[in-house]
Amino acid sequence: MSMVNQATVTHVKEAVAAHSDGALLSATEPHADTLQFTIEKTGIRAVVEGLINDFQARFLISVGTDARPITGDFAILHLFSLDREHLYVLLECPVSEKDARIDSITEIIPGANWAEREFQDAIGVRPEGHPDPRRLLLADDWPEGVYPLRRDFPYNYQPPPAENVRPQLREPPTGASVMPMGPFFPVLEEPSYWRLFVEGESIVGCDTRLFYNHRGIEKLGDSVSTYNEIPYLAERICGICGFIHSTCYCQAVEKAAGIDVPRRARYIRTIMLELERIHSHLLWLGIAGHIIGFETVLMQAWRIREPVMWLCEEISGNRKTYGMNTIGGLRRDLPDQIKPKLLETLAQVEKEAVAVRSAIIGDTTLHARTRGVGILTNEWAKKICVVGPPARASGVAIDARLDHPYAAYDELPPQIATQTPGDTWARVVVRVTELLESIRLVREGVSAIPDGPICADFKGEIPPGKVGVSVVEAPRGEAVHFVLTGGDNRPYRWRVRAPTYPNLQAVPAMVANANIADVPITLGSLDPCFSCTERLETIDRKTRQVRVYSHAELLEISRRKGRGGVSMGLRPIRGEETHR
Amino acid sequence: MAEYPWACGPSEEKKLTVDVTPAKAGVHVSPEGAGFPFAREGPVRADFLESPGAGDTPRRSAMTAWLIKVLTLCLLNVAAALLLSPLFEGLMRKLRAAIHSRIGPPIKQPYWDILKLLGKEDLRTTGGVVYASLPALTLGSVLLLAALVPMGTGAPLAFAGDLIVVLYVAAMSSVLLMLAGFASASPYASIGSSREMMMLLSVEPTLAIALAVGAFKAGTLTLGGIVNWQVQNGPSISMAIGGLAFFLALQAVAGKLPFDVAEADQEIMGGSLVEQSGPRLALFRWAMWTKQLVLALLLVQVFFPWPHYGIYPIDLLLTMVKVLVVLILVTVVDVVNPRLRIDQAMGYFMRVAVSSLAALAFAVIGK
Repeated sequence: MSMVNQATVTHVKEAVAAHSDGALLSATEPHADTLQFTIEKTGIRAVVEGLINDFQARFLISVGTDARPITGDFAILHLFSLDREHLYVLLECPVSEKDARIDSITEIIPGANWAEREFQDAIGVRPEGHPDPRRLLLADDWPEGVYPLRRDFPYNYQPPPAENVRPQLREPPTGASVMPMGPFFPVLEEPSYWRLFVEGESIVGCDTRLFYNHRGIEKLGDSVSTYNEIPYLAERICGICGFIHSTCYCQAVEKAAGIDVPRRARYIRTIMLELERIHSHLLWLGIAGHIIGFETVLMQAWRIREPVMWLCEEISGNRKTYGMNTIGGLRRDLPDQIKPKLLETLAQVEKEAVAVRSAIIGDTTLHARTRGVGILTNEWAKKICVVGPPARASGVAIDARLDHPYAAYDELPPQIATQTPGDTWARVVVRVTELLESIRLVREGVSAIPDGPICADFKGEIPPGKVGVSVVEAPRGEAVHFVLTGGDNRPYRWRVRAPTYPNLQAVPAMVANANIADVPITLGSLDPCFSCTERLETIDRKTRQVRVYSHAELLEISRRKGRGGVSMGLRPIRGEETHR
Repeated sequence: MAEYPWACGPSEEKKLTVDVTPAKAGVHVSPEGAGFPFAREGPVRADFLESPGAGDTPRRSAMTAWLIKVLTLCLLNVAAALLLSPLFEGLMRKLRAAIHSRIGPPIKQPYWDILKLLGKEDLRTTGGVVYASLPALTLGSVLLLAALVPMGTGAPLAFAGDLIVVLYVAAMSSVLLMLAGFASASPYASIGSSREMMMLLSVEPTLAIALAVGAFKAGTLTLGGIVNWQVQNGPSISMAIGGLAFFLALQAVAGKLPFDVAEADQEIMGGSLVEQSGPRLALFRWAMWTKQLVLALLLVQVFFPWPHYGIYPIDLLLTMVKVLVVLILVTVVDVVNPRLRIDQAMGYFMRVAVSSLAALAFAVIGK
């Protein structure tokens, strides 16, 4: 399914060579849609600038790899997407341990801010000239100079906590006071700390501390799990778009290993991905209603959503976290006898979703709360490399399903919805339109699904040293997985970028000069998923603020509770009823 | 002029200042104003007063009887408001659940909520006598309001004050809640309290205008007098508009959507009440439920008092049914609306207040 124009490939190669001004070390083409350039780190800024100016390249993520065991150096890799050319461009820079620094590109692309801080925390390569080089993801009491993603750092090592540490948070400007939102706050289902600087009810600035939820998933991926175990780990990155992450990981490995997935498996993946979008968008609609106090929308949207969950349960055995994906295809087929029920459920959901749409489209109070609220301009959406519905609501017409077709989207192209105002209302409209479009896609997918095997017949080893980049359009936006294959039946490096990662970086621009009352819905309109975003590093969660409990004590308490069993509210598994 | 037992004591004789014709509506002018029924000369028309004689002893016994009557009615009003308000709240929760496609909690749940909260530990974020007594004061102020509002018969404390007093007492609970917020040393509570204040300031004109329409039409500032006038004269355009304005204000004063900005769970985590828990929260919650009931009563009595049979139990029952209808409307509006922002809510009430001036205009031309 190569949609790549060879002339463009040549053009990009020439451009990179020209901009690198002699710093280009090698240029390879690992896959038809992937170009990889190795550049001396002195040339990185010029090449990035050139790519953006010449091709409107969109920054995806940076990957910091400890390649010392192989090459003797660290490797910093910036990933770009040329959306219209359906091309990924990988810019890799070797960085020696002695001079662990690289020029920051955040000044050129504000969207690289977190990515650079992340490799600074995890690998210990300093982005030189970064405007805000504070710690991003490691806990505040994590000692300096301990880099958890280095190969010589064991996955289960718990460093002694640093003493006398405080979150590195900015102070409010004079005259403003701090209104904390979080780390635990009613409308944020997961911990995140937004430090709002307010004058009266109006916001004059904000600072944030996130990454309270690291689970060390990437570290586990390259040190403990094997290729075939990671899909289940990946699925647990997110409680809502789990199938997206497992698909995205599998696709990255399949691409790296050159495994061809059967058409039937591709169709079933598409159907499950779209079902996930349907229930995720309904979930979001409910939460958005809840945030502005419209509980009826919450209750009704979730009632409409429930049959989709039952359907997924009937297909996979689980409401969520289906466990269907494996490298090369699927472990579980979509049985033919479920099709009538699937179509029936879709018809019902469609009917009710249309009713909800007409109810909210004409609601003037809803308009009052969402129109002109949390505006993300087209310019900033591009600068911060925002993805998914927030990007499309700001007039950035990107969608991984069209730009880098995967699964069966080459045969089932979606109609994407775009809006130009970039406000909360636009994001509502984009999502509701997408919801109905997904229903159409599932319907067409079910009717066009081909017969055949559901998993590739792949025997033998996955060769080491191969790269694979995969994107999947999650309900929240594009998820990116990067895999560098390793030798011991596991990736050497597995990098995950969830869609909320770039989207959250747009929040300060969106809430500037807003009213306090608008912050929750502005944040909520991004459909943020913190557990997705915060997947890195083993964390020693010593609750240092509350000195009553040590980590060991907490562990002991929870173990005791676990042994008790009965009081945990465990419910018997629904056996027969599940497969009615 | 027919006699109705609305106005307790002679307070209906109090004169509205705009009324320049003393003969109108047969109101007696008394220079020292309304007050205690035995303090001055002139005809005493306390309908439940049995003793017509002069002299000290009959006077004293008449006074005792009057006091007993007032106290009984007071107790009845307060008990009705206090005991029925969780029931109404429970019914409203059921209705809300029905619109949400939920089963909802049992109707008696609010009673259990109160009991449960009363039995919990009393935690306070700050000390001080004022802070400690705020929940009780808030509930007390609402109960005082309950005693000032007629329920099926005359308001027990009608002799003690007129519309102006009612307006002030109605605002008192909001002010006390605000104080509790400012005193509880939480940024969310402070924001909630300042929003409460802004809401109070924007809603108060509407309340005042709506009630002023009644006062203007009836030519009296006493609640009993207005209700009396309403019963005799039947519906009018101005009172209907006034009633509508009062209903909108009730929505805000009761803290219902789209005007619950001062609580706004999702923005400021309950606002003024964020730091309240246990028995203190129980009293605040109870006060708020009671307040919504009493204000609904006020709306029903002043603006929609028909039909009136003059038989206390039947009138009380009818009133409660009408209150239920009002609260159902309040809940339906609450359920089908998202929350406005504080500036939007204030702008809304500015417009409502201006529009309700139309009611006054209609009243002037006698409609």
